[in-house]
Amino acid sequence: MKLSHREEAGVAILEPRGKIMGGPDATLLHDQLHEFIKEGKLKVIIDLSGVDWMNSTGLGILISGLTTLRNNKGELKLANVTEKIQSLLTITKLVTVFDAHDSIDEAIKSF
Amino acid sequence: MSTANSPKTYRLTVPSIPDRITQVDEFLEANLQKAGIADEIISDIAIAVTEIVNNAIDHGNAGDPEKMVKMNVTISAEEVAIEVTDEGGGFDPGAVADPLAEENLLREVGRGIFIVRHLMDTVSINGVPGKGTTVRAVKKLPPATS
Repeated sequence: MKLSHREEAGVAILEPRGKIMGGPDATLLHDQLHEFIKEGKLKVIIDLSGVDWMNSTGLGILISGLTTLRNNKGELKLANVTEKIQSLLTITKLVTVFDAHDSIDEAIKSF
Repeated sequence: MSTANSPKTYRLTVPSIPDRITQVDEFLEANLQKAGIADEIISDIAIAVTEIVNNAIDHGNAGDPEKMVKMNVTISAEEVAIEVTDEGGGFDPGAVADPLAEENLLREVGRGIFIVRHLMDTVSINGVPGKGTTVRAVKKLPPATS
């Protein structure tokens, strides 16, 4: 996984790309989220449009992001969830946990 | 797909180092692509195999880099069969908490085998205390169209 980030309308947007499968992926995302929290950026969107697929490690990373932000009075939203990832969120019932939007604009408006 | 009549088996052994999961995925996907298997099926198998190998590294072998994870990938015209063996203390799939239970939904771990069973057609887990665990997972392939 490669990770970049940007900011739009006061919202931090994380843009992982490639496959989220384990190894160093979790640390990379975890560290970036903590950096956001340190900087007071508590509204975060993860844009999943560039993610080919993820396994349960990837789902665990998303959950970790959600709980870390909520514990710091922040919020995490998902945007551009691909069909493959949507299917995993559905079978694991995580669709009930995440607030997912079809575009970055919609996700920003939802805060 | 272009797989010849006789099944072909590809073997890879990696030490229990979490970063090696990338090598496992590259090895797997390269061989599945070479066999002409559709991308959609390859990603299902890759998700499942990375789950199984992560489990073998983290839980089976407890992250001990001296312990190995062995993987066999057998590709035939009808199916792809994966076997992953660790050198750990054995694994009891019955001991895994239900990942769909309300109280477990926010747990960061514990969904791996559930996802493997969803993506693959058959999954068997053979854990022998003191002798490691072998997970065998099979994905049936659609009949060739030509």
